[in-house]
Amino acid sequence: MTEKKLKIALAGNANVGKSVIFNQLTGLHQHIGNWPGKTVEKAEGTLHFKGYTIDIIDLPGIYSLSTFSLEEIVSREYIVDEKPDLVINVVDASALERNLFFTLQLMELETPLIIALNQIDMAEKKGIKIDLKRLGEKLGVSVVPTIAIKGKGIYELLEKAVEVIEKGAAKPSAISYGEEIEERIRRLTEALGKIRLKYPARWTAIKLLEGDEQVKKEIYDLSPEILQVAENLAREIEEIHGHPCPTVVVSERYEVAGKIAREVQQILPRIKPQLGERLHEVTIHNILGYPIMILIFLGIFNVIFMLGGYMSEILNGLLYGYEPLFENLFGLNPLKEIIWGGIMEGVIANITIALPYIIPFYLILYVLEDSGYLARAAFLTDTLMHKMGLHGKAFIPLMLGYGCNVPACLGCRIMETERERLLAGFVVTLIPCAARTTVILGLVGSFLGLHWALTLYAINLIIVFLLGKLAFKVLPGEPTALIMEMPDYRLPHFKTVIKQTWFRLEEFLKISFPLIILSGLIIKFMEIFNLLEPISRFLSPVTVTWLGLPEITGVTLIFGILRKELTLVILATLLGTTNFQEALTPLQMFVFTLVVMLYVPCVATIAACIKEFGWKKAAIISLLEIILTISVGGLAYRILAILNLLEH
Amino acid sequence: MLTLEVVEMELPLTALREGESGVITSIRASFGWGKGGGYGLQKRLMDMGLTPGTKITVVKSAPFHGPIEINVRGYRLAIGRGMAEKILVEVQK
Ligand SMILES: Nc1nc2c(ncn2[C@@H]2O[C@H](COP(=O)(O)OP(=O)(O)OP(=O)(O)O)[C@@H](O)[C@H]2O)c(=O)[nH]1
Ligand SMILES: [Mg+2]
Repeated sequence: MTEKKLKIALAGNANVGKSVIFNQLTGLHQHIGNWPGKTVEKAEGTLHFKGYTIDIIDLPGIYSLSTFSLEEIVSREYIVDEKPDLVINVVDASALERNLFFTLQLMELETPLIIALNQIDMAEKKGIKIDLKRLGEKLGVSVVPTIAIKGKGIYELLEKAVEVIEKGAAKPSAISYGEEIEERIRRLTEALGKIRLKYPARWTAIKLLEGDEQVKKEIYDLSPEILQVAENLAREIEEIHGHPCPTVVVSERYEVAGKIAREVQQILPRIKPQLGERLHEVTIHNILGYPIMILIFLGIFNVIFMLGGYMSEILNGLLYGYEPLFENLFGLNPLKEIIWGGIMEGVIANITIALPYIIPFYLILYVLEDSGYLARAAFLTDTLMHKMGLHGKAFIPLMLGYGCNVPACLGCRIMETERERLLAGFVVTLIPCAARTTVILGLVGSFLGLHWALTLYAINLIIVFLLGKLAFKVLPGEPTALIMEMPDYRLPHFKTVIKQTWFRLEEFLKISFPLIILSGLIIKFMEIFNLLEPISRFLSPVTVTWLGLPEITGVTLIFGILRKELTLVILATLLGTTNFQEALTPLQMFVFTLVVMLYVPCVATIAACIKEFGWKKAAIISLLEIILTISVGGLAYRILAILNLLEH
Repeated sequence: MLTLEVVEMELPLTALREGESGVITSIRASFGWGKGGGYGLQKRLMDMGLTPGTKITVVKSAPFHGPIEINVRGYRLAIGRGMAEKILVEVQK
């Protein structure tokens, strides 16, 4: 017997817990965190339940079924065109009214649906109690309470979903508007009855009155006369109410949502302000907010540097101790040379240099992300970001860029216009990711001191700001205004933090080690066939003459394009040691790291840029960064040499 | 006896101080059926609950032309100053 197939989509407002539920159901690892707009593309996973193969679809969070933002387009197109068997509308119990506004729209679309009333723990903390039965009755929709992060109610949700599908989900009844609007919806629905529509007629009529650009365009193609009718009716409503027709429709829908919310929920006033409230006040404080932000970032790098340095030392002693064993096993012959010099050196260098910094970094960054601080940082930096033609929300992908540029590039989709996405994507590629941080902390930090490493981060921020401003000059336009929900602070959920960190680490390991082994072998063979020297020599006018680096760095910079930590790992392989002092002067370390920090996006980032912005723009970004790096690196070398701050 | 005079004033949201409340009267930007640039953002604001007649409270008004944080329909929303200037509210003083 073949299993029956079902399609269930998760839809709802941003940051309500859709992806947590998705991960629980499918065992996959969608990005979760405490800020609105993480999921930008739909994701699919399957599960087997009671003889069904169920496709679960995680959709981007949206506040309305409009088509202004990419998230809205993705989610609406899926629900409207793919017609899933059921939509699970995930609702944040702590912001019921706004969430119900979206639920009402799903009902208008006549989508079969059930509600997952999520985050009831958060709602309880805020003193909100919801009468589930009453809510279900009011809407005519089944409601399942959940605390997704703890897995509570997930099984019941799935059970209810299948039960509703099996029973043949009763299409939920739609809400009614004021009589003068209802009458016009009726007239428009009648007119629409004459043409073949892919949407329900009533929904189409309402969307026309709401001024939905896409529906308007589609109707215009089918029958321009009906659009004319709609325009006339909209004008009539506008005359009656004194507000534009879309405003009237949205207001009335919100009124219904508000009425239901008030009827089903009970809000007990909190006497003591919650800890989260206090934290919120302090972290967006007019004066305190900024030093706190700087302290948080300095603290993060400090902790990572100390932890990383400590672990690195231990691992170093541990792993290099194996070299004699290798010599005993293979003797001092070419085979040992290839295995130890080509593979093991790279693997060990990666374990001792990269991992000690990357693990704590991912962990801390994720805790920060899941606490809800990023939204506060976005609020604080709004004015600054405007100077680059962006708004505060762009600070979030920028921050994520410190972890890895690739998801950060995709994360730029939270920006509203194409221009802003490109601007944000460009600055994101300049942010030193975790891989570059291993070079900054592992080389400059370890050998020159943390203050020099922090100097590099500061230089980086200045460059980001100046280039952002410059890019804004090239791509002028009015920056969009910031409109962002501020989520409540949350205590990061321990198990989720560990899981998400592990997942990111796993991705890193899966890509990093094979690449390192491959590169190590290639380099060994290049060495055997005497190819290293010609290549290094070819690059020496730039590397040696202009940047003042040892010739050997030319090859490492080429391999670094694959992954940035390779620059250091391969340098260690070539030198046969991680004691870089033997080959580089302090000034050379600084310049080398500066170059690595900026010189070109790694291949994965370039690929992400091509996907988001097209290959032309990706090529321009890459080229620009190479030119920038060569200029800045050469200048830094000369200035620092004159100032005599670092030994050379 | 003391008489309290109630004066209603229409002000941009940016004129409210932290802790003050007002009722939205309108969002002043090109709207309607034309495809104006501000339409998307304005619709977004309404979709997030800022419809005429809604009560909002200013929680935070950031300095240096920074954004404004309001409480609306039981949640917190940050709005850029440029946009907040276009939101008109009625205040009882
Ligand atoms: N306390 C609590 N937190 C929850 C619950 N469900 C989700 N969260 C947290 O809410 C935040 C958002 O969860 P996500 O699953 O990423 O939200 P989403 O709906 O996918 O968000 P977008 O993709 O941005 O639209 C995360 O920090 C979760 O840990 C819950 O039931 N209780
Ligand atoms: Mg999500």
